[in-house]
Amino acid sequence: MERALFVIFALTAIVAALNVLLRRHPLHSALALLVVLGALAGLYILLGAYFLAMIQVVIYAGAILVLFLFVIMLLNIRAEEARLARRPFLRWLALPFALLLGAEIFYLVRTFEENPVPSGTSVGVTEAIGRELFTTYLLPFEVTSILILIAILGAVVLARRG
Amino acid sequence: MESLGINYRAIGPELVLTVTGVLVMLLEAFSPGKKVRDGILAAAGIVLAGVAALALWEEGPVTAFSRMVIVDGFRVFFTLVILLGTLLTIFVSWGFLDEERIPPGEYFALLLFGAVGMTLLVAGNDLMILFLALETITIATYVLAGYRREDLRSTESALKYFLLGAFSSAFLLYGIALLYGATRTTNLAEMARVVSGPLGQAEIVLLMAGAAMLLIGFGFKVTTVPFHVWTPDVYEGAPTPVTAFLSTAPKAAGFAAFLRVFSLTFPPLGIESAADQLASHWVAAVTAMSILSMTFGNFIAIAQTNIKRMLAYSSIAHAGYVLIGVLARDWAAVAFYMLVYTIMNLGCFAIVALWARRGDERVLIAEYAGLGFRQPLLSFPLAIFLVSLAGFPGTAGFVAKFWLFKSAWGAGFPELVIIGVLMTVVSVYYYLYVVIVMFFREPKEEVPRVPLSRAFVAAMVVALVGVFYLGLLPTRVFAVLNTAQNLLAIGQR
Repeated sequence: MERALFVIFALTAIVAALNVLLRRHPLHSALALLVVLGALAGLYILLGAYFLAMIQVVIYAGAILVLFLFVIMLLNIRAEEARLARRPFLRWLALPFALLLGAEIFYLVRTFEENPVPSGTSVGVTEAIGRELFTTYLLPFEVTSILILIAILGAVVLARRG
Repeated sequence: MESLGINYRAIGPELVLTVTGVLVMLLEAFSPGKKVRDGILAAAGIVLAGVAALALWEEGPVTAFSRMVIVDGFRVFFTLVILLGTLLTIFVSWGFLDEERIPPGEYFALLLFGAVGMTLLVAGNDLMILFLALETITIATYVLAGYRREDLRSTESALKYFLLGAFSSAFLLYGIALLYGATRTTNLAEMARVVSGPLGQAEIVLLMAGAAMLLIGFGFKVTTVPFHVWTPDVYEGAPTPVTAFLSTAPKAAGFAAFLRVFSLTFPPLGIESAADQLASHWVAAVTAMSILSMTFGNFIAIAQTNIKRMLAYSSIAHAGYVLIGVLARDWAAVAFYMLVYTIMNLGCFAIVALWARRGDERVLIAEYAGLGFRQPLLSFPLAIFLVSLAGFPGTAGFVAKFWLFKSAWGAGFPELVIIGVLMTVVSVYYYLYVVIVMFFREPKEEVPRVPLSRAFVAAMVVALVGVFYLGLLPTRVFAVLNTAQNLLAIGQR
């Protein structure tokens, strides 16, 4: 069951990631990215990182991607214009980077050790994160609220009609 | 609850500043445009925060909130410097707010929240707090730099500052992550304990990379060469009172964090340890940064025709001097230097802001011609602040430099002291050039009379008293700082 789910999520992620690259229209690419992020969230759940999965959906899929879509729609980029970005030297760069990435994956797979997370661990569980957040990291948590407040204030100031 | 280490007194200054900031912001929302009321409220909040900070003076090194913040003399003194800088900025901004028809509430609220970030940065005992505080400061200052939205220069300045600032924050955050990987903690005290022993090879590599990233991040924030490129453009484009603020209080806070992380957490221990291995590298890197900042800043400043750009390069040069103090690991000397620098630089910018008029029109050094005897209330204070920046005896600038160089000489950095002194001589040229233009050049057109506001006079009085008091009778402040330093040294053992 777990293996089947893993295969489904992994394949979805890979196919969608290829779609991000191959689609002509940036809007389609962004929507494909949404699918990648969703599939990754599924993988996180399989790993037992429920909180991370939720955050992935809420922040990346929910907030950041909507921002992407907003920008794409506001700029009104058409498919032909988007293709202008093709530059010959980028292709020459692509090969060494792909080789580097391939070598990294090869190294990781070769040196991989079976090291399963012991069952019943609390790491990454929502309750454990919440407990830490409101005890040890109480002050940073509160400071974050000031940080967000000041960002809102700044946005209001800069967007105000003169 | 005791286990959480909740101690409201330990964050007293920050609490007072936050509450005042929120109050000012809400007042602006419900009855906008009352500059005097908002300004007095903000100033009162800053004074009250100063009282709250002073109340912590007697307490030895104590931590609170699960060791997130620390209370010690270091923090209290830097907090006072930051509060003084913010208070003077409010005075300097007084006329500017009317001229530009800027809603005062948001402006003061941004200053106050920026001050919260700075005081927290100084108080932080954990890399988590340091990062959040730094972000709070930078977001407040991005917005302040872009406050004159119709002005192209101001917008350019804000955008440049934002992009490079975000870039440097990323470096800083990556560095923090690597340090966490190497030491398994973000707490500075804990980190100091871990690196005082030996570490594994992999951890050493992570530690070095993390510290290097942190050095780059801090280098950006305190404007040292080679991470200074944004400084002149941002300082020139931002409204002058904001430039005054940018070049003083956030810098003092940045240097405090720099000291806290590098001088106090990764000290060269002289024994076989990870800290010692790291220290040999960071000392070399900071030495290079210091020499580059001093030479580059001073020589480029000579070529400037715009007084704001000139002061920006001078600010880079001063950052180079202060790095000598960081290397000597004498935080008291650095704290004193930042106090003096804050006072004289804000005094300088107060006059530049007043003379620049609406929209920063009059900022060329040539436009100061004839100011000398026609506007003595502007020209004499400006001359005094410039002479103090150059470090003439009798002014605070001299005492600050003397202490810094003396302690660096004692700590075994004679070559840096020699370069510092030589560069100080170079700096005399461009500081005195402005004085010469003011007193001995004939103006091309009639010199207009500039009305002096009460807030401007208050800023002048505070700054002038500061420059002469710290220049002629610095012994009391010395004694206070030395006591605090000794206390901290004992607490660390």
